[in-house]
Amino acid sequence: MNTGNDQISWIVSWCRAIGLTPSNTPPWLYALLALLCTFCFVVVPSGAFISYLDRKLSADLQARVGPNRAGPGGLFQPFADILKLLQKDTQKQWGWRENFWLSVHTMALYSTLAVLPLGSVALLVDTEMSAFLPFWSALVLGLGTMLLGLSQESVPGWFGGIRVAAQTLAGSFPALVALLCVGIRAGGFRWSVLANSQGFSPWSWAVFANPFLLVAFFIFVMSGLVLLAIAPLDGGLSMSDIHGGVSSHLFGRRLSLFRFGRFYGFFLWSVITVVLFLGAWRLPNGFTHGLLRLEAYSVLAVFELVWLLLKTFTLMLLIVWISRVNTRSRVDQITDFSWKVLSPFSLLALVGASIWAGWRAF
Amino acid sequence: MRFSVFSQLALYIRDVSLGVWSIFESCFTAFPYLFRWGDLRKEVTEGYPDPVSSKTADDLPPRSRGLLFNDIDRCTGCRECERSCPAQCIHIEEEPGADASKIWVSVFDIDFAQCIFCGLCVDVCQPASLIHTRQYEGAAYSLSDLVASFGRGQVTAEQRAKWAALRQLSESDEVTL
Repeated sequence: MNTGNDQISWIVSWCRAIGLTPSNTPPWLYALLALLCTFCFVVVPSGAFISYLDRKLSADLQARVGPNRAGPGGLFQPFADILKLLQKDTQKQWGWRENFWLSVHTMALYSTLAVLPLGSVALLVDTEMSAFLPFWSALVLGLGTMLLGLSQESVPGWFGGIRVAAQTLAGSFPALVALLCVGIRAGGFRWSVLANSQGFSPWSWAVFANPFLLVAFFIFVMSGLVLLAIAPLDGGLSMSDIHGGVSSHLFGRRLSLFRFGRFYGFFLWSVITVVLFLGAWRLPNGFTHGLLRLEAYSVLAVFELVWLLLKTFTLMLLIVWISRVNTRSRVDQITDFSWKVLSPFSLLALVGASIWAGWRAF
Repeated sequence: MRFSVFSQLALYIRDVSLGVWSIFESCFTAFPYLFRWGDLRKEVTEGYPDPVSSKTADDLPPRSRGLLFNDIDRCTGCRECERSCPAQCIHIEEEPGADASKIWVSVFDIDFAQCIFCGLCVDVCQPASLIHTRQYEGAAYSLSDLVASFGRGQVTAEQRAKWAALRQLSESDEVTL
C-alpha cells in the first residue's frame, strides 16, 4: 500500500459518507471541504453545547442560577457570547509578534482536525503516526502560548506563558507513556487499529482490558488536563496572581479565538481518550455490518459520530464536574503532581501492560 | 529508621490515595445539588429583578437615600446644598427673577457619577425642596446620562431685560408708597 493510495482512500470513504461522488476534482479541495465540515458541523456545535452545559452544571453544583437571559433557559447564551466577543474591539495596539504567535498557536491547534478520529467512515488521516500528531500539536500549542505570553510585554503574559510551557512539558511525558500502553495492547497506533481492538460493550473497551490500562486511562486523562492546561489543572492559565495569564491581554475576536482554542483542546483530548480507551465509535458488530451491506455509509457515519460524541460529552462533563467542585491547584503543584505522581504511575502501567500483552501473546 | 525507602514509599502512596479520595469526596458532596435533593439545593442567587423575591422601592427602609430630586418650584436657590456638598456634584446657576424677592434657578444639575449619597444637601435644604427619592436604579450607558437637571432653563437676553424692567418698576412702586 503506497501513500498515494492512502491519501485517495480516506477521501473516497469520506465522500461516500456525505453522499458525494469523487470525480476528477483535485483531492485537496475535498480535503479542505472535509476539514471545514468537521470544524463547522462537529467542533463548533460541540463547543456551544458543552459551554452551555458547563455553565448550567457548574451553576447547579454551586447553587446558582446560571445563564437564563438569552433564549429559553439561557439556551442561546453561547451565540450571545460569540456575537458580543466578535463586536468588541481592542484599544491596544498589537505587535506583529503577538499576531504571529497567536496564529502559530491557532494553526498548531487546528492542524489536528485532520487526525480527529470521528468514526470509521469519517476517518481523515489514518496513518501509523496519527495518534502521535495531537502530541506534536499540543507541544507546539504550548510553545506558541508561551511565546504569545512573552511577546505581550506584561507580567501576566510572561509568567502565564512560562507556566503554560512548564505544564505542557510536565504533562506530555505521562500522556505519551499512557498512549504507549494502549498501543501495545492494540498492536499499532492507527486510529482504525486502536478502535478495532475494542468493541461495543464496555467489557471489551481498552480501559477494562486489564488493571494497568485502567491506571493508564486515568493517567492519560489527567496528563491531558496538565498538557493542555484544562480546568481543574489550569493553573498556568488562570491563577489569580497572574490575572488569567496569557488571556488577560486578549480582547474581543482574539479572545474568542483563544478561548475557543482552549475548548478545542479539551474536546480533542476527550475524543482521543474515548477512541483510545472507551470503545471508540464501535457499534454492535451486527449493526455495523448490516449498514455496510446496505451501503448506507452516511447512516453509519452519523450513528458512529453520535455514539462517539455521546461518550465524549459524558467524559467532558465528568471532568467539568470534578473541576467545579475542587479548588484550582497552583501551577507548581500541578507540575509536581505530573512529574512525581503521574510519571511513575504511567511507567508502572507501561511495564504492567507490556508484561500483560507479552503473556497474552504466548 | 524513620525515613527508610519503604516508609517514604508508604507515605507517598498514602498521599496519592488521600488526594484521590479528597477529589471523589468533593464530587460526592456536590452530587445532590445536581438533582435538587432535600433542602440543600435552594438557589441562593436569584434573577434580577425577581418578581417574587427581589426588593422593590417599597421594601426599602424609610430613611434610605435614593437618587436625589429637587422640586424646583419650592427651591429658593440659596446654594446651601452646593456649598455643603463634599463631592461637589451639584452645579447651580441663577439670576434675579421678575420679582426682586424671587431667584430664577436656571441650572440645577446633580451629577450622580460624583454623588456619594451622603445626604448633607438634603439636611441643609431650608425649603425642603431637595429630597432623596426611593429610586435606586441609576445605571446609564454614558456619564452624561448620569447628570440629572432640575433647572428652569437659561433666560434669553430679551427676557432678562424685561424682568429687569419689571423689577425697576416694582422698586419705584415701593418708593412711591
